[in-house]
Amino acid sequence: MSAIADGDPLEPVNRVVYGFNEAADILVLRPAAEVYRGTVPTPVRMAVRNFLLNLTSPLLVANELLQGDFEGAQVAFSRFLVNTTIGLGGAFDIAGRYRDLHYEYEDFGQTLAVWGVPDGPYLVLPLLGPSNLRDATGLVADTAADPVNIWANNADRSGAMAVRAGVTGVDTRTELIEAVDDLRRNSLDPYASARSLYRQRRATEINDGSGGSIEFPDYEDIDEPAVENGAGSSNSN
Amino acid sequence: MITRRIFIAAAALLAFAGWATAPVPASADPRSESAARFVQDLGARAVDILITPDLQRQEVENRFRTLLNEGFDVPYIGRFVLGRNWNTATPEQRQEYLELFERLIVKVYADRFSEYSGQSLDSGETLKILGHRPEGERDAIVQSQIVRPDGPPVTVEWRVRQRDGQNKIIDVAVEGVSMSVTQRNEFASVIQRGGGSIDALLNALRQRTAAR
Repeated sequence: MSAIADGDPLEPVNRVVYGFNEAADILVLRPAAEVYRGTVPTPVRMAVRNFLLNLTSPLLVANELLQGDFEGAQVAFSRFLVNTTIGLGGAFDIAGRYRDLHYEYEDFGQTLAVWGVPDGPYLVLPLLGPSNLRDATGLVADTAADPVNIWANNADRSGAMAVRAGVTGVDTRTELIEAVDDLRRNSLDPYASARSLYRQRRATEINDGSGGSIEFPDYEDIDEPAVENGAGSSNSN
Repeated sequence: MITRRIFIAAAALLAFAGWATAPVPASADPRSESAARFVQDLGARAVDILITPDLQRQEVENRFRTLLNEGFDVPYIGRFVLGRNWNTATPEQRQEYLELFERLIVKVYADRFSEYSGQSLDSGETLKILGHRPEGERDAIVQSQIVRPDGPPVTVEWRVRQRDGQNKIIDVAVEGVSMSVTQRNEFASVIQRGGGSIDALLNALRQRTAAR
């Protein structure tokens, strides 16, 4: 299991950035998330999250279309219509109450994956965390193509962009307080665990919810060499 | 399908009050059906431990260890998690590893259990079996949802293997993330950073599982 076989040739640099992110998280981001959760009532936080998600609808529709998933685009568009009107500008996820109109996360990194672009080396981005070359490229494209961002740029409202980014960051971090605490407490190598989690999670997102096929071999005879070469690498694509 | 979605969106626009959705039809496979009952029963027993008030820490560990070994094929999972490093380990290392691995799981989950203990939970509400399907020659995947008091429900898939007519869980996937694969990657990294030696992992496990 060399670094390159794991698709992490930049591991030494990544670990440095990871250490920086951990420090920034423990000092700033996690406390901010705790304050946010402790002071803002749950319904308000839900409304904020729904509103932020609704703002990403144009990107969802675009990425579904680029992936050739017309049903997915239809769902994302219907969600946008329903939630923007009845859902009062996106504050309420009315569409999510219907089985066929559930939210599905899409981004340009996933679109590139559907087009056959390999994930490239694993990257830990400053403040943003786990990624890879493909997904980081996708992130840049999504940010540049986002209609709300384009509007904010043209209207000289860079403050609005910063607020959106900040609130999105704190909201996302709030969702992960327990999970990250658990990882820090229980993993023997949180960096490696986070890398594994990111890769598996992305593989699931790219396949729209269906997990990868891991091989669970038979270990009937304990003395026989195990046939398991595919299991470790099959999830790391 | 697309027209159906438009219809649903229109219906939602007109009347957005609760609209009961039909339950997922369960497949009629006897193997995966028995696996689903097995997981359901195990979940109910886990909730029992959680809702028992004022349990001593040692008692939580004991009860969890029993539940773990009845529900999960721990030696199998341990071996899977060690990956190819199992093949180079000596019999003594393998034995110590499997003991430490079990102790680690018990410790980690007893921690998590004590964190949530004393909550008022209803087992039928907490773990919802959504469906099940046979997988491969002898496995079954049981799909479930864990409903949390605060936050959206979590999708959990249990991989149950039948051996000699007995059900045992060999993997748990949370939102598409396999616990066994994650731990395998974690352990592989510890070994790699320790110069490729299994002793590095055994050391880390000894430290982590030592009473503190």
